[in-house]
Amino acid sequence: MNGSASSGVLKANWFTYTAIGFVTLISVFPLYYTIVMASHTNAEMAAKTPPLLPNSSIFDNVKKALDLAPLNLGLVNSVIVSGAITLGTVAFCTLAGFAFAKLRFRGSAILLAICVATMMVPLQMGVIPLYMLMAKFGLANHLSAVILPSLCTAFGVFFMRQYVASAVPDELIEAAYMDGAGPFRVFWSVVVPAVRPAMAVLGMLTFLMAWNDFFWPIIVLSSQNPTIQVSFQSLATGYSPQQSIIMAGTLYGTVPVLIVFALLGRQIVGGIMQGAVKG
Amino acid sequence: MATVTFKGAQRWYAGSDKPAVPGLDLEIRDGEFMVLVGPSGCGKSTTLRMLAGLEPVDAGAIFIDDRDVTGVPPKDRDIAMVFQNYALYPHMTVADNMGFALKMAKMNSKERKERVLTAAKMLGLTEYLERKPRALSGGQRQRVAMGRAIVRNPAVFCMDEPLSNLDAKMRVQTRADIATLQSQLGTTTVYVTHDQVEAMTMGSRVAVMNLGELQQVDTPLKLYDRPDNLFVAGFIGSPRMNLIEATLRDGRPMIEDMEVPVPAATAGRIRGPVTIGLRPESMRLVSPSEGGLSVEVIMVEELGADSFVHGNTRVGGETQSLIVRAGTRGAVHKGDVVHVVPDPAGVHVFDTETGGRLGD
Repeated sequence: MNGSASSGVLKANWFTYTAIGFVTLISVFPLYYTIVMASHTNAEMAAKTPPLLPNSSIFDNVKKALDLAPLNLGLVNSVIVSGAITLGTVAFCTLAGFAFAKLRFRGSAILLAICVATMMVPLQMGVIPLYMLMAKFGLANHLSAVILPSLCTAFGVFFMRQYVASAVPDELIEAAYMDGAGPFRVFWSVVVPAVRPAMAVLGMLTFLMAWNDFFWPIIVLSSQNPTIQVSFQSLATGYSPQQSIIMAGTLYGTVPVLIVFALLGRQIVGGIMQGAVKG
Repeated sequence: MATVTFKGAQRWYAGSDKPAVPGLDLEIRDGEFMVLVGPSGCGKSTTLRMLAGLEPVDAGAIFIDDRDVTGVPPKDRDIAMVFQNYALYPHMTVADNMGFALKMAKMNSKERKERVLTAAKMLGLTEYLERKPRALSGGQRQRVAMGRAIVRNPAVFCMDEPLSNLDAKMRVQTRADIATLQSQLGTTTVYVTHDQVEAMTMGSRVAVMNLGELQQVDTPLKLYDRPDNLFVAGFIGSPRMNLIEATLRDGRPMIEDMEVPVPAATAGRIRGPVTIGLRPESMRLVSPSEGGLSVEVIMVEELGADSFVHGNTRVGGETQSLIVRAGTRGAVHKGDVVHVVPDPAGVHVFDTETGGRLGD
């Protein structure tokens, strides 16, 4: 019977496809409409019947956007910042997650509780002291001022701790100890291969978060050395900013994220599913 | 090869009001297959893990040969371990799993491959060397776990219930394989199980544990024939030994109106209440005119070679279950009332209060 569970597997029917199609449409529409808006002027978009199809003027608009704002510099800076934050977060959070999940040490529970509690403190509360700290280190207006505070997140530590605890049995680690491995070798040869899907998920989430971050970079970076989000600012100048140019710039800044997802998508989705099944 | 000695080894888990292992004294001989057996929570796995270095020893010491290994990390103890769930590295091939310890020991690649191949031949794993563990059956995984242990040629093998994840048929087969392999290699082995049949069939000696305490260490047959106390008597043997509290009449143990035949030397040591132990094969069915205990049959277990009668009798006004081996197939049926008498050579007498054995 369609749509019912037979031997534990649900079969899709027309309703499933319609529902999935509808959700996909809603999800994809904003991106599609960005493309449409990026290829039409303000007047065209304000017409009684707004256009629904993009045209080739999108390339001219991207070019105008590139002339107007330091988008390429922003793009390079964002790739550096997001890449470094992603690598750092994945590495440090996996190490910390492994330590909290599998190593016995005094104060482990309290340290984890403190780590998780920091998630409840809003970023805005720490901005002024953080800026003062960065200025003291001489890092204001340096990309490292954006990278350093985000190299390890409480969410990442907690996420990896939960995954390591459920995906890596204690016996596997004990077997590696018996085989002559030390803690770091156990981490590298046994834990990392087992938690790679979770690392990919954390990597993607971190990359997106770092890529989209606007608040901290605009405080600590100048407009001469912006990340992509900060550089969009320069597009919205003037009394009546051209929506098409803003959208063309935004689209330009979104492409790298789409590439990351296209490259890692399969593993990321696999990772999410594995995590779900293992609870 | 090596000897293993526990000297008052104690393990006390944090937050517990009593130690998991209060102080174990045990000597395991060179090349011996020692089985630690007991019910869940008896401390057998903790003992093994202390030997392997996976649990700290809170007091006392553990020696391998003359070397005190109490505080030595697992990798420096020259011990290999086989885990209950095999603990194979899922992302590595069978060959890599087996060779991992050798790689850690920085053995060169050529020698490593030779050692892995030799072990694989011994275990019939050569055709699976390039497979990942997920592509193997339970029995094959178990053999890979064994292979991972033997390639290292360690001083001691530790095995923590390695057969408990196998089906009954595979378990019997693997049981024999492990025992054969151990006798070929001659490596001192400490094997933990809760299954007394496994203990009896595999161990050259068996250590029976309960509540962290060592109850008795002996060969399987001596444990069966001469259990030191009520716990060992009830734990070793399948079907279990019948344990019946007897009353004393003129210093002679009686079960209801039946006098239990006890050697004079044993009778002379009886000072208070005693419990009589009778194995199912140490009782025989007799005609009602010969007296004995009257037993109402509730089930007959036909095993082909043997049949066991499960029944109830009344002792001291209370129902007491009994298991008796019936000699003839089909002679007894559910609902029958039969009479049984003990075989004088198979009577075990225990002090009910202390649980200790009285007499030989």
